[in-house]
Amino acid sequence: MRKVLLLGLMLFLASAVAFAQDRVITGTVTSVEDNMGVPGATVLVKGTTIGTATDLDGKYSISVPAGSNVLVFTFVGLTSQEVTIGNQTSINVALQPDVQALSEFVITSYGDQSKREITGAISSVKGDVFANLPMQSFDRAMQGRIAGVQVTSTSGQPGGALNVRIRGVGSINAGNDPLYIVDGVQLGGGASTSTQGDQNPLASINPNDIESIEVLKDAAAASIYGAQAANGVVLITTKKGKKGATQTKISIQEGIVQPLNLYEVMNASQLAGIKRDAFINAGLNPANAAAAYGNPEDPALQSYDWVDALYRDARLSVYDLSMSGGDEKTSFYISGAYTKQEGQIIQSQYERGTGRLNITHRPNQKLTVSANLSLAVQKTNGTIANGNFVNGPFTAGFTSRPNVPIYDEDGGFAPYPSAHNFGYNIVQGVFEEVRKGVAAQSVSNLQANYQITPWLSWTSYFGVDFSDTRDQNNRPSTIPAFSSYGGSAFFQDDRRLNYNTNHNFNFSKKFNDVHTVSGIAGFEYKGFEREIINATGRGFADPSLLYLQNAATPFAIGGNFTEYKRAGFFGQAKYDYDDRYTADFTIRRDGHSRFGEQNQWGTFGAASVGWRISSEGFMQGISWLDNLRVRASYGITGNSEIPNFASRTLVGNTGQYLGSGALALSQLGNDLLTWEEAETFNIGLDATVFNGRIITTVDFWRKNSSSLLFDTPLPVDSGFGSITRNAGLLRNQGVDIDVQTVNIVAGKFQWSTGFNITFLENELLELYDGLDRIGNSLIVGKPIQFWYTHQFLGVNPANGRALYADADNNPTYIVGESTLRYIGSGLPTSYGGLTNSFSYGPLSLEVFFQGQFGNLAGNQDQFNLENWGSGTGNLRTNQLDYWREPGDVKTVGRPYEGGQAPGTSAINTFSTRFLSDGGYIRLKQVTLNYTMPSATAAKIGVKGITAFVQGLNLTTFTKYQGQDPEVVGIVGLVSIGRYPNPRQFSAGVNLTF
Amino acid sequence: MKNIIRTFILGSALIAGSCTDLDVTPRQSLTPEVTFSTVDGYESLAFSTYGVARGFNSYGQQFMIAPEVMADNLRIIANTGRYIGQEANADRAHMGMWNTAYWSAINNTNIIITGIDEAEGDATLKTQVKAEAHFLRALHYFDLARIYGYEPGKEVGGFDKAVIIRTEPTLGFSNADFRARSTNREVYDLMISDLQAAIAGLPNAALGSAGVYRASKGSAQALLARVYLYDSKFAEAESLATQAMASFGLTDAGAGLLTPENYVTAFSSFPNPESLFEIEIRSNDWSGVDGVNNSVCSLTANVFPSAQFILTVTDELYESYEDDDVRKDAWTVTTRSGASGDVYRSNKWLGAKGDFLQNLPIIRASELYLIRAEARFRTGNAGGARADINALRANRGLEAVAADLAGDALFTQIMDERRKEFVLEGHRWFDLKRNGMDITKAGRFEVVPYSDYRLLAPLPTDELQLNELLEQNPGYN
Repeated sequence: MRKVLLLGLMLFLASAVAFAQDRVITGTVTSVEDNMGVPGATVLVKGTTIGTATDLDGKYSISVPAGSNVLVFTFVGLTSQEVTIGNQTSINVALQPDVQALSEFVITSYGDQSKREITGAISSVKGDVFANLPMQSFDRAMQGRIAGVQVTSTSGQPGGALNVRIRGVGSINAGNDPLYIVDGVQLGGGASTSTQGDQNPLASINPNDIESIEVLKDAAAASIYGAQAANGVVLITTKKGKKGATQTKISIQEGIVQPLNLYEVMNASQLAGIKRDAFINAGLNPANAAAAYGNPEDPALQSYDWVDALYRDARLSVYDLSMSGGDEKTSFYISGAYTKQEGQIIQSQYERGTGRLNITHRPNQKLTVSANLSLAVQKTNGTIANGNFVNGPFTAGFTSRPNVPIYDEDGGFAPYPSAHNFGYNIVQGVFEEVRKGVAAQSVSNLQANYQITPWLSWTSYFGVDFSDTRDQNNRPSTIPAFSSYGGSAFFQDDRRLNYNTNHNFNFSKKFNDVHTVSGIAGFEYKGFEREIINATGRGFADPSLLYLQNAATPFAIGGNFTEYKRAGFFGQAKYDYDDRYTADFTIRRDGHSRFGEQNQWGTFGAASVGWRISSEGFMQGISWLDNLRVRASYGITGNSEIPNFASRTLVGNTGQYLGSGALALSQLGNDLLTWEEAETFNIGLDATVFNGRIITTVDFWRKNSSSLLFDTPLPVDSGFGSITRNAGLLRNQGVDIDVQTVNIVAGKFQWSTGFNITFLENELLELYDGLDRIGNSLIVGKPIQFWYTHQFLGVNPANGRALYADADNNPTYIVGESTLRYIGSGLPTSYGGLTNSFSYGPLSLEVFFQGQFGNLAGNQDQFNLENWGSGTGNLRTNQLDYWREPGDVKTVGRPYEGGQAPGTSAINTFSTRFLSDGGYIRLKQVTLNYTMPSATAAKIGVKGITAFVQGLNLTTFTKYQGQDPEVVGIVGLVSIGRYPNPRQFSAGVNLTF
Repeated sequence: MKNIIRTFILGSALIAGSCTDLDVTPRQSLTPEVTFSTVDGYESLAFSTYGVARGFNSYGQQFMIAPEVMADNLRIIANTGRYIGQEANADRAHMGMWNTAYWSAINNTNIIITGIDEAEGDATLKTQVKAEAHFLRALHYFDLARIYGYEPGKEVGGFDKAVIIRTEPTLGFSNADFRARSTNREVYDLMISDLQAAIAGLPNAALGSAGVYRASKGSAQALLARVYLYDSKFAEAESLATQAMASFGLTDAGAGLLTPENYVTAFSSFPNPESLFEIEIRSNDWSGVDGVNNSVCSLTANVFPSAQFILTVTDELYESYEDDDVRKDAWTVTTRSGASGDVYRSNKWLGAKGDFLQNLPIIRASELYLIRAEARFRTGNAGGARADINALRANRGLEAVAADLAGDALFTQIMDERRKEFVLEGHRWFDLKRNGMDITKAGRFEVVPYSDYRLLAPLPTDELQLNELLEQNPGYN
């Protein structure tokens, strides 16, 4: 890497050589908007390759050869202008803003382009859309706001990680996360950084620092990123300073966080009643039921509310401060922010401090250097979630027996019966166990750009995403489960380094007034290293001692290292004819260390064309049509998201025996392993009509993923469960629709609407070796995530037993392989969002709905809470109306202690009883803003004041049987003990100076 | 200008050339080439295979408890969902070993057996490790065969399929072919030849020494005696039991066995003085909650706080102990909230290594006497059978059996001795099954006739659907 740095530096020095020519014209290029000079505008002698760029004041000087008489002035975001020289020696021009282009300007890490000329499928959301929303990470801000992008929570933990899927699930076993790029830095990925709580690495970027998010959805847009672009690319651009007076912004927000939809559980006598019947039905002594659950007839039976002891109305605070500005040579953006959000569960908390400095400096007319530096510290007090954990409040909180006291007479924690939840008093556990993850992360870059000629520039870029996460877990001996060894302390350090560097030429040249050719050619290198060390100590003399030094026994140590490397060469060429016809070709060749030695390199590419029909002469008479354009693209991108050493046969450690290290084959390798490829077709239509009142983008797309990095199952008697092979073919196809309308403009009142929806389908087209299915997990012709289980028919009124459909659809009590069947898809068939904005004078109201439809969702919380009284813990109150005597027609069957009466399958046998429609519509956000008139604001010494109140996750329309249809997840089909999303209310004020 | 461009292009080429290095190393793993070049590497593979036996799906829990609760030795006193189905012999509630851990252990042994001859290192150790692999392969096949198949000659409806045989290692994709189940005869023949190879190659180990933590000549002889007993080859079983007794210095009169004084405490000393083969466990083999969640100690005793204590001896078994039987002391009366009346905690599983932890006795010396007694009974030598039983009884604080005890009564006596001797060591279900006997049950549960489909465990659904050659056991829909 040092070589790269030195060479890069050398190249700048070598190219910092001026060159000169004959006849000279001078002048200044300004912008009509602010009458300020436009630095970096291109001045070109028409019909030649001669050109220059304006300096920081917008001044230029150009030598014009004899015979040339026209200068062309261009700058991104401003309308180009041509001026005939005649006898002038000084030409000053004022460029008009190109409003539409300015608002649709896409910055890639290799170069900038205006959306007007992009032929790929790109969607974007501006930072001001989600500014001041109390969300910890930008991926959440994309939810429902970008067509083709599905965002679901894996957890409602504040600061928790999310699942983002762009245009469906394209891979079976390899990763499906998009590539995130922040100001050119390719981030490490979306998995939680902490083992002690769900912590989103993307949350190290303060959403309020974000200028815009662009999502590259098809191959034409994404293939410049070749590797890993198969899942789409999310480009995040942070705010930069602008020339002019320094602007200061302060934002303060306070709010509350509430549980959304808690399960209603039984009180002590209700549970005791159903348990007594369960014991009697199973031929057991009801006295034993009374001993464990209390006597249902006892009027003195106390009931304790475990749920109430665990959940709370919590606080949230967000404080932001930023300054930005600049002069001729330098511009800057500085921000600092602090946010704190408590979770709906006691002890759950998230805190973050961020700092950012974005600075750009132009020492001379040709060289631009910039640095974007960020540092974030995230602290999560985590909660055990996402599984059937006895020490997780999202399961044990509901199942803890209501007849058991939480506290003893002295106010301490009461012991919990060992027959249930391993004797774990969940309130004590959540209170006393320390689960802390503190991550320090920097996503920063340095960049230099040298304008070699007006049409050719060189960029050198270095980016780093470094994080260090310190996890701490103290399990004190005061919790009975940990007392036998005197409590334990676990500390872990997880250090990750992602770096990427690219070096590329950008060129752009216009010939004969109408032919514009532009492009990129370059090289990129990316590396990732991760090192983990951890240690566990046991035996603490006092539960308040937390550190390893206090441990009597050093219990366990661990550590490991992993890495990957990737290199790529890329080139892109664009051709534009008179703003009417565009064509774009991209090619990229990438090598990845994850693949077999002979198969490390893959070639990716894309081609796309666009036709702006509205610029044709024959369309000029149609006044209501502002813009009409069709686009088509085809391309191939790659996916390499598999474990770093997946292609190798490895011998790994399996612990010890007799004090000696034990080794065994941990995985079967595959030397032939290579890139998974996604072939994407996209046809798009952009239309703007009625003077910008309706803006529509529609994209029809198809993505065929082939050579899937597929963990193909092996017969387990071989000693291995699976081997990763390139096999299979998977198709996602759909349509993305985005419509922005201004519905009413009447005086001070305005109503506008933004709507996007994606319809999609997922189908497995081929497996391998001619297979048409793999067990019950994958079937050709079906989506890759589906439910294959037993059909629950209901409760037999004669005897209260569960009835299932057998192979011939006759009722049966016993299920087996023959009664399994395909039930339905676990993937949604559509998702989208709807925003309505109303403004009246200084007041504005935004109402945002988000939803998804068509997926069947499982709720395994029902195992614990809806087992017809056969289990050992508390139940939902919907179990109270159970079968009692022959003739009862009920949905809840006969309670049976132990859960499996002779001649039946277990009551908790997974079946359609646990499935429900996972579709939902959620009122995600309502915000009411008041912006003080600037004249009034000026009187109190500020430039602007905005005050707002808002609510998040206000209401949900769904048939889902669980708590939160959003945390079902689109990767795992199952939901048990999930941390649901909260409802939030907050109020705040933004000040600008 | 040209120079500049030339410099750039040259520079780019240099950068590109210098940074296409894609070499990475998995630093905490080895390649098979490195591991399997030395005998030490193969020995670490054998250690890994021993480690599989301590898993909670294996002898660490399931093998000690399921065969007891599925028959008539244990009853559940608290419903935590565990073993509830096994106690009731419910549909598909059985033992399950058809999983990656067990089959990878067999693959480990195949790698050792086929490869170690080429490895560099000490010749004695090479012979020992290879013989250990034969022993471990036989042990794993034995456990699989008795769960998923009938014993040879005891088939119901002529169903003689046991498990899949693999003797070649899986080192690559092409080795992992689909196979059908072999017959129980084929699997037993493989076990017998493996154990004969093990006996030939293994060193002797002394009772009470750390040698019993690995396979030894004597423990291989003992396991082969057990295999022959299951295989109804009684003469061979008797012979091998006698050889194993000789290997461990056990006399016909029972010298070397535990005595009434130390029978109970032996289970809290490591190794158990009577262990012929014992799996050692250390605290860092378990995660922080494995002890309370998964240990036999937690499930069967209440000596540690928050122990689950969900299982106790059936009333019928407890009442069947003779008054002076020291084995009755393996139970201590106690109480449990939520369970009415007296319950008993096991004194075999007290977690004497601390925090629920203790070693796992797999084969104990007393089994040799009981194998030989049963083999002698089956070969018409009632006197010899009585002598073996009496040798054991004398060391359990009991009188000799009646001198004329013979026929069914003698056989019942042998079975009863086994039941009391090995309670909570995982023999009961298999002792009934291998004799073609109905599974007797205690309390409110109904007898499971030997001909019932529930005698054999169901094969996992996923494997049946993946491998078309694989046949499910009869009776599972």
